[in-house]
Amino acid sequence: MNDSAASTVTTRKRLLVFLIAITFLFCALLGRLAYLQLIKGKDLQVRAAEQWYRDLPLKAPRGKITDRNGEILADNRDVYSIYVRPNAVKNPEAVASALAGPLNLVYEKLLEKITSSRVSEITVKRAVEKEVAESIRAQNLDGIYFTLDSKRYYPASNYLAQILGFTNIDNAGQSGLEGYYDTYLKGTDGFAYTATDIKGHELENNVTKYVPAIAGCNLSLSLDLNIQAFAETAVSQAMAEHSAKGASMIVMDCNTGGILAMASAPGFDLNEPPRDDIHLLNALGKNKMIVDVYEPGSTFKIFTTATAIENGAVNGNDRFYCNGSRLVDGQKIKCWRSIGHGSQDLGEGVKNSCNCVFMDLALRLGTDKLYEGLRTFGFGSKTNIDFYGESKGLMMAQSAVKNVDLARIGFGQAVAVTPLQLVTAVSAAINGGTLYEPYFVSGATDYTGKTVYVRQPKVVRQTISAQTSEMLRNMLEKVVSEGGGHKAGVAGYRVGGKTGTAQKYENGHIAQGKYVSSFVGFAPVENPRYVVAMIVDEPGGYAYYGSLVAAPYAGEVFAKIFDYAAIKPSQTPEQAEQTEMPDTIGMTAQEAAERLKACGLLFESAGEGEHVVSSVPIPGTRVVKGDVVLIRTE
Amino acid sequence: MRAKNKLTGKENASARTAGEYDFVLTVVTVLLVLFGVVMVYSASSYNAAVNYGNKYFYMFKQLVGAILGFAAMIALSVIDYHVLAKLRYIILGVSVLLLVLVFIPGVGVESYGARRWINLPFFTMQASEIAKFGFIIFAAAYMAKYHKKMTTFKGILPVLGVGLLICVLIILEPNMSITICVVLLMFAMLFIGGARIKHFLIIAVPAVAMIPILILAEPYRLKRMLAFIDPWASPLGEGYQLIQSFYSLGSGGLFGLGLFNSRQKYLFLPFSESDFIFSIIGEELGLVGCALVMFAYILLIARAVRIAQNSTDRLGCYLASGIACIIAIQVLVNIAVVTGSIPPTGLPLPFVSAGSSSLIVFCGSVGILQSIGRRSHVGARFVKDIRRTR
Repeated sequence: MNDSAASTVTTRKRLLVFLIAITFLFCALLGRLAYLQLIKGKDLQVRAAEQWYRDLPLKAPRGKITDRNGEILADNRDVYSIYVRPNAVKNPEAVASALAGPLNLVYEKLLEKITSSRVSEITVKRAVEKEVAESIRAQNLDGIYFTLDSKRYYPASNYLAQILGFTNIDNAGQSGLEGYYDTYLKGTDGFAYTATDIKGHELENNVTKYVPAIAGCNLSLSLDLNIQAFAETAVSQAMAEHSAKGASMIVMDCNTGGILAMASAPGFDLNEPPRDDIHLLNALGKNKMIVDVYEPGSTFKIFTTATAIENGAVNGNDRFYCNGSRLVDGQKIKCWRSIGHGSQDLGEGVKNSCNCVFMDLALRLGTDKLYEGLRTFGFGSKTNIDFYGESKGLMMAQSAVKNVDLARIGFGQAVAVTPLQLVTAVSAAINGGTLYEPYFVSGATDYTGKTVYVRQPKVVRQTISAQTSEMLRNMLEKVVSEGGGHKAGVAGYRVGGKTGTAQKYENGHIAQGKYVSSFVGFAPVENPRYVVAMIVDEPGGYAYYGSLVAAPYAGEVFAKIFDYAAIKPSQTPEQAEQTEMPDTIGMTAQEAAERLKACGLLFESAGEGEHVVSSVPIPGTRVVKGDVVLIRTE
Repeated sequence: MRAKNKLTGKENASARTAGEYDFVLTVVTVLLVLFGVVMVYSASSYNAAVNYGNKYFYMFKQLVGAILGFAAMIALSVIDYHVLAKLRYIILGVSVLLLVLVFIPGVGVESYGARRWINLPFFTMQASEIAKFGFIIFAAAYMAKYHKKMTTFKGILPVLGVGLLICVLIILEPNMSITICVVLLMFAMLFIGGARIKHFLIIAVPAVAMIPILILAEPYRLKRMLAFIDPWASPLGEGYQLIQSFYSLGSGGLFGLGLFNSRQKYLFLPFSESDFIFSIIGEELGLVGCALVMFAYILLIARAVRIAQNSTDRLGCYLASGIACIIAIQVLVNIAVVTGSIPPTGLPLPFVSAGSSSLIVFCGSVGILQSIGRRSHVGARFVKDIRRTR
């Protein structure tokens, strides 16, 4: 014992060191555990939970879209998605034939998929109509599965195609208001959480937890489906009757900026958008009234006039003389009437739509004042309507504007605007001078019915004084009652407006024979509420004047609106005096003009020739005195 | 070999069972083993039901292992541990033979790319488990016999040589983790046996130099090293297992999700019933459960150290120390792996992890501890212990 005493002490010491070291290491690991379990615990558990549950989304129903009266414009419809689980299929031939016919699929391909596919589930078709799915289900075949889905449904089918827009197969808004207000409409998907193992198999003791879906908000538009119907009819008719490339109409409440109707032809059925042809879909789906610009022509004269009056550049006694053209900086700019309008005051200038008058006004104002006036009306900037892709129009750089350009801008050339800008600006010009921000959506309510968004009319700025606005109203009323806008008039009602005819440009050059005919008007003059713009793109034939091509449709829409809104006539309709269309064929232009004037008719002429070769309507037709007719010279 | 007297030194009286039976040691061991059976059931029931159609598959195997383990424990506590010392060359020979057998096709079983198991009629046996204890018996017997030479470098060479042989055979399987354990065990035993610190430094240099070589020999080891440093860099690859272990532990928090309530056991955490059972313990029983289990191990180790200190002869002392070392090393390495404190390596948690070989051998080693304890007449050597004993 003694001989090993020393080494025994070493062993005892070293065993103690060993025990202390082990204890220390255990404590260190306990510390590490505490860090992982207590400090990092929650974070780790959250991450772990992501793999513990399979979450099946419960699709939230998309919000509805209604017009101002609650008429449904966009709704949801129950449809089915059909799946096949090859493992569960007992009779592949029967399954393939049951599905192929009703779903328009190729039997052989489907059979091959079912028999040779290695995936556990095949999506056969989505968005299958309820009746079709139910007829398949009734056959009770093993291996076919159905899930309820929802599909967007537009009761007014081809109305508002470019405005409402459409959704994709997953019900996400892609274009139009569906796209712009997707955040409101889409709602919040719910989830069904199922506890699973790593392979996704449900656990025995699983209790599936549901987080219900929250339906999207319902949108209420400022739009009126009735007025929309008037507008849709107008654009379809205009396109058909004039073999035009397209036709558009906007109706705005000039006291709020709310869009009452917006229609454009050609359109498409929102329930069956041509998804297979992406170019066609893009072309038809584009809202040209907001996205595209055009040269406004004479309708733009309203703003030259307004700016001139507002700036005191003209007064009621000023006379203008038109000899058919103006010489500006050595360049001859023609009036539309080559024989000239003679001496006129401002009102007559507006009524005659005499280019010379507006050249004079523009030149009197100068670039800075005219531009300032136009900008006040919102030209050159977006209206900020609740819609994607808005254009701000085209205006020449102010510093680059020469007198020649200035003169042209004065009567609506060398400038491009969107139809929406025009309507918005006209509304401001005639409503007493207040520029409103245009809008589609007036409010949104959530799934409980609680209002979550209300749109109050937004005043952008005061453009012109109330007096200037009143002067404009009266001058524009004359255009309809006595001038080129006659066909937009409604007997017994006071309607104002302005026609426009502009040549189209293609690649920077005037495109021969291609015109944009337009009319923008408002009613009732004594208490303006409705502003209507009608634009016909590339009307066929010789009748391309706004007075003949666009104004009549605006007139029809005004008449229908007065009837619908139960607006009483403000004046006793004069018994419309009728006359017969005189035979002017073979006469010189001068002779024809005198003859038509003698009959109490206004006229537009097409062609640069000496003699009249045809007229619309043909000689002998009954026409109302004061109407506009067309003569063609060669 | 007539070595009994030399081996037992002056304490011939040790044949008598004068020392007391360590009840605390037995109770802690039995509780740990039974706790292990429960945890193996909890961790493996789903996996077993999916893969074997019987959710008790692993639990029954573990239960059989526990019964065999208790039998080995009782048998070895009755047998005089000096017999083991006498048989040291035979035990060592069998250990080496088993390690070689692993490489013979038909006898050795390959699993997860490593040959570690030997096919026996009723179960497969992991050869390295036997080898660890073969080494302890050999080293303890050698150090007891030549304790005076332990301060010389030459004196420790036979221990190093045998250790190296076993290590080489195990690393060829390959089984890095057991190899590291044997190396650590070797150092620990030499340390307790009185080897000089400077000699440790001499052998530590080549041992440390081996680490990069071993890492470079198998590319997966380098990946594991990187995964250890940042498991989130490859959450579906090398880092997967560690992340899943973190998820388990993190979900447990302070008190755990409750017994049998682990979510990670649904195939998310691989080896949840064996090498990573501690993660499931952490998930179901929380930090409190982990601390209790760790406390049980410390208690076990402390009892083993106490038996070593009270042993009447060097053989008993070194044998008990060796057993204390291997338990301590495996528990520490296992928990360190599970908590991401060291690079991941597969090593069972003694007494608890599923695996019959490990369970039987560890239970048997507790039997040896009891055998040593019973044969020491306490009080003869250490004054302070007199008061505690009868």
